[in-house]
Amino acid sequence: MESHHSLGTSSDWIVMAVYFIAILAFGAYFSKYNRTTTDFFFGGRRFAWWLIAMSIVATGVGSHSFIKYSAKGFEAGFSSTMTYINDWFFVPFFIFGWLPIIVYTKIRSIPEYFEKRFSPITRFFATFLLLLYMIGYVGIGFLTMGKAILPLLPPEFTIFGFHFNVTLMGLVIVIALIIGIYITYGGQTAVIFTDLLQGFILIFTGFLVFLLGIDYLGGFGVFWNLLPTEWKLPFAHFNNPPGFNFVGIFWQDGVAGSVGFLFMNMGLIMRFMACKSVDESRKAATFNILFMLPLSAIVVGNAGWIGKAISVANPSVVPPDTNPDAIFVVVANIISHPGVFGFIMAALTAALMSTVDTLLNATAAVYINDIHRPVKKWLTKKIQSWKEEDKEELFSARIATAIFTFLGVLTVIPFSKFPTVYEAHGYFHSTLTPPLVVAIFLGVFWKRFSNSSVIGTLVGGVALMILGMYYPRPLIEFFDHGTAFDPKHPYTYIGALYNLFVCVLFAVLTTFTIKQQLKIVEKIKNSPNHSLIMASMVVASIVIFLLIAFNLLPMIVLVILTFIMVFFVVIVSNYYIEYNEEEKTNGLTVWSINKAKEYFKGSKINDREGEKIKVNWKLKEGEDDTIHFSKNDMKRMAAEVGDLVYISDTRKYLGGLKSCHTVYGEPHDEDGVVYISREHVEQGQFVKGHKLIAEKEM
Amino acid sequence: MMMQIFFQSWLPFIYLYGVGGIFFFSGMYIVIKSGALNLKKRRHRFWLKILLGGFFFFMFMHAFLIIAALYL
Repeated sequence: MESHHSLGTSSDWIVMAVYFIAILAFGAYFSKYNRTTTDFFFGGRRFAWWLIAMSIVATGVGSHSFIKYSAKGFEAGFSSTMTYINDWFFVPFFIFGWLPIIVYTKIRSIPEYFEKRFSPITRFFATFLLLLYMIGYVGIGFLTMGKAILPLLPPEFTIFGFHFNVTLMGLVIVIALIIGIYITYGGQTAVIFTDLLQGFILIFTGFLVFLLGIDYLGGFGVFWNLLPTEWKLPFAHFNNPPGFNFVGIFWQDGVAGSVGFLFMNMGLIMRFMACKSVDESRKAATFNILFMLPLSAIVVGNAGWIGKAISVANPSVVPPDTNPDAIFVVVANIISHPGVFGFIMAALTAALMSTVDTLLNATAAVYINDIHRPVKKWLTKKIQSWKEEDKEELFSARIATAIFTFLGVLTVIPFSKFPTVYEAHGYFHSTLTPPLVVAIFLGVFWKRFSNSSVIGTLVGGVALMILGMYYPRPLIEFFDHGTAFDPKHPYTYIGALYNLFVCVLFAVLTTFTIKQQLKIVEKIKNSPNHSLIMASMVVASIVIFLLIAFNLLPMIVLVILTFIMVFFVVIVSNYYIEYNEEEKTNGLTVWSINKAKEYFKGSKINDREGEKIKVNWKLKEGEDDTIHFSKNDMKRMAAEVGDLVYISDTRKYLGGLKSCHTVYGEPHDEDGVVYISREHVEQGQFVKGHKLIAEKEM
Repeated sequence: MMMQIFFQSWLPFIYLYGVGGIFFFSGMYIVIKSGALNLKKRRHRFWLKILLGGFFFFMFMHAFLIIAALYL
């Protein structure tokens, strides 16, 4: 396979350096909006949909991105777009199920949902699996970035008498250091605004590469006619080859990946939670999936298509055996002039930074919410003021970000063993997402899915997934849809279907047998040896799990033992953990969204439709969290005292940057004026003389 | 050759919108049945149109891309 080094000129490097300094300065400016951990992680829940939709482009495009899809575009043609246009199937579940629940229940992380919906022990399982998922995702980002920048660098260089060999891992470490420093001091508002800018730049850059490529080839007609029919089809072959086929990618990306991305990706969820309301989040999500993802599919894959066309027309310029992961850089270098190439590369690497920084920010949020706070609560009884606590958490978040950056670098080692980033990412998704995806999904949409069911699903699902890795034949083979077996990387994609199936299997089995489980638990409780029976079941479960993890017995025995282990696990969880279905599902499933809304507000919801009004603001005495409109203005907004209100600067292009949420207080008689506290002014960064626009939330 | 093309065009299309459609319409049924998508609200009727429109938008886009690749 042909490898490349030292692409680009000194002017390209100057353009890249200027671009990065500008982006860092831009992010640093917006870090002043981080006043609390809520601001640091969620951007203060105040932004307009268009701002979030554009900022998500940089996150989504950055993560799956130019390198990965250009590689597949070069190998297979337009079917590289498959994964960008198969996300719509789960949108109803997301925008009317998971999104309102996570916003209205004021949950700050996915594991916290597990505690509220099931039990504290499930929060522990979820935290562990989620951190693995997110750190792995960070690792994929680092690997991609390393592969993008490596072709630009010389194979070795000497500086101040020291000789350095340029390696992928060395490069990844340097990149990680830069990103770690940036995110540690930026926070979510800085991330949103740099991503917003980069969203625009990425779309522009992607189409610039496409237009330059078409021009290089001699026009769209030449480009179209150079490609054979199978490269112009939007789908890969149904089940062949094992490294890139439709059915495997449908289950790995279209199902596990889409649900994982929408339901489990804390980085993305936090971005939606930064919207000013659930309706705005819905708009951001649908706009992104309907319009931005299809455009992004062209943006990220076209360098591969152009590369393929050039390799057909002139194989000496782009040899057909070019390393697919380097094709984006190679094509960009061929079709653009010095300086322009630097700009393209800067935009690409900055996009990858966006993905990684979003994920690192989200990982730190999970750490603070699901490890730091519970552990601190358990270890210390010291009472701190709100400000002291917030300052300490902000510091811990920054340390955690640095640690997760380091762990992300470590995960690059196994991922770099896959032939392309695409395969590494595919395997990662199909392996790590199914247990949590099934647990969250059924938790939200199936009221009967109980605490013992989720524990049985996670433990049993993971156990059979491990066995699937040891024995892809015959376990995964049964689901392969005719996909050939590749002994080096068995069932990279279709493995997702097997993994989803085994998790759903245990979910269904454990949910439908709940009455029988409770009867058995009742009998055990009445036995004089109940403690001994329980202790034996716990020990047996641990021993069986270890036998499975280390593959110490024949396959068939291990499969039978998995079912026995799940039986023990559900009995133990029913014995030790009280689970009240009514209490644990109220406001936490799609069947009781209105309860979640009431919980959010703290009182009955006011659904009457009112107007948005423009008002001048004046400072009031006191620091209580209420603002005061005139009686007439309250009437126009159809608002009552105690309802929730959102006020923002009237300049729409700010996208809600200068805004805040608060509560209606007692009205006055001065029409067109709102009285707000100094805290509201600081939170919203309101400017004297600029009017505010106010709207009732609920 | 015809079979090869079918395996890369209409078969994936049928599978995608068949199996994907089961997920999509199950989702629609659940959110409507649970009242999370409340068709009595004007705003939610707008969302119903967007959701259904999105499904058919992607379906027609894929069909168009297949036809363009095969016949243009």
